[in-house]
Amino acid sequence: MARRDHFDILTGGGLLVCALVVVFLLMVGQEKNTSAAALDKALEQQIAYQARIEFLHNLYQPVEDLRLAGQASEALLKLDELARHYPQEAHGEILQAEILLERGATKESIDHYVRAVRLNGDYVDKASPLTRRSGIQQLVNLRLPEFAARTRKNPQSLALQNTLTGLYYLQSRLSGGCE
Amino acid sequence: MNFFQNRYALIIIVLLISLLSACQPEGTRSKMRIGYMNCNSEEETLKRFYPLTRYLSQKLGVDFEVVPVDTQDFSERFAAGEFEFTHTNSLVYLIMHEESQLKLLATEKRGRYGSHTSGSIISRKGSGIRTLADLKGKRMIFGPQLAPSGFLAQYDTMLQGGIDPEKDLDYYAIPSGSFKHEKVVYGVYFGQYDVGTAPSLDLELMTSAGKITADDFNIVAESPIIPYCTFGANKDLDPTLVENFRKALVELTEKDVVSYQGEELKVLASAWIDGYETLEDSDYDQLRAMAKRANMPPYQEF
Repeated sequence: MARRDHFDILTGGGLLVCALVVVFLLMVGQEKNTSAAALDKALEQQIAYQARIEFLHNLYQPVEDLRLAGQASEALLKLDELARHYPQEAHGEILQAEILLERGATKESIDHYVRAVRLNGDYVDKASPLTRRSGIQQLVNLRLPEFAARTRKNPQSLALQNTLTGLYYLQSRLSGGCE
Repeated sequence: MNFFQNRYALIIIVLLISLLSACQPEGTRSKMRIGYMNCNSEEETLKRFYPLTRYLSQKLGVDFEVVPVDTQDFSERFAAGEFEFTHTNSLVYLIMHEESQLKLLATEKRGRYGSHTSGSIISRKGSGIRTLADLKGKRMIFGPQLAPSGFLAQYDTMLQGGIDPEKDLDYYAIPSGSFKHEKVVYGVYFGQYDVGTAPSLDLELMTSAGKITADDFNIVAESPIIPYCTFGANKDLDPTLVENFRKALVELTEKDVVSYQGEELKVLASAWIDGYETLEDSDYDQLRAMAKRANMPPYQEF
């Protein structure tokens, strides 16, 4: 077995240093790539969310226009038409709920509010561009005592029980409770 | 020992009799009749309500018979005792409640207003007819006279808006035969009439089915909401049976099925119903006020 001279030690040491530098550079590079990928994903989600909001506004604009023009009945028919292509869309449910409330169909309005919030929690989120929090809060404040009293008076009514359950659900979502 | 043996034998006999009476086969149970108001046609009424009636028979242990009845004949045939339970529109319920003290059982739920409905006045898009004032001098088609959301609600809406249908229109007509509500909608759509009275539920269903679009019509006016179709019972019936009938209806869910003609049918879906709800008679006060203002039965004065 040949003895190692100074040149061998110098060469081996140099190779070891190079290998360590390469490993260090690779680790730093990977870290940079990971954070860049995470940034891309967050950006993509943000863009997709904004596009969705924009799309919903455009899609339901005719309904909003009809409501503004005081044509609630036509707005409801427009919602029926849109529901053929976008069934179970939460925004359609929320608009339906608002119009039915204006028309005096309170129980049915509460059903639609519940469906909308179940489908998309943004409607009770203060910070969301879709928020309907204040309207839902007002509905709960006003109607919960009324329906609780009516249900106590008529405990056999399944319809009243169902509406009251819906109001409790909305109250829970407003307070941030879990389902 | 004999005393106890006899007592046990007696209990077993009583239990067996109770079990056997609860499982009485069809044909041996008591018989009752439910009068169903024909909406579009007798054939459609029978098809819709046979499964529900069979379900009620099974649930209550009574053999219910389906009796299809023309709207105009309903109150007279009920007063003559031709059937014990009734299924009618809310105006016919009101008439029989006033005339024969018919008892309110349950109200049907269908469409966006649930146990309620409303009437709309429609014109063709682009006709320029957009307000009640525009109806003056126009050709109008109404639904059948005893239809609360096809005639009364719109007639009253016009009166409330200062338009007298008897004086201010060019003329008005009522379609003949079956499917009158769809005839009204298509009569306006194809331009035979300038304006028409459509139940809002029919517009909703026709739009959802793609038969019409929201852009085809102007909704000139929509009435306040009023109760939808209603089950009632003769006031002299056994209160327990009546309560069980009501409970069977309001507890029906979309999952309940009945065996009918070799098939398992969903009871509510086969009758085109979303469910039933117990309303108070006072919930019909809006309809009462409309009938009074429009001088219609049961408050008609000559």
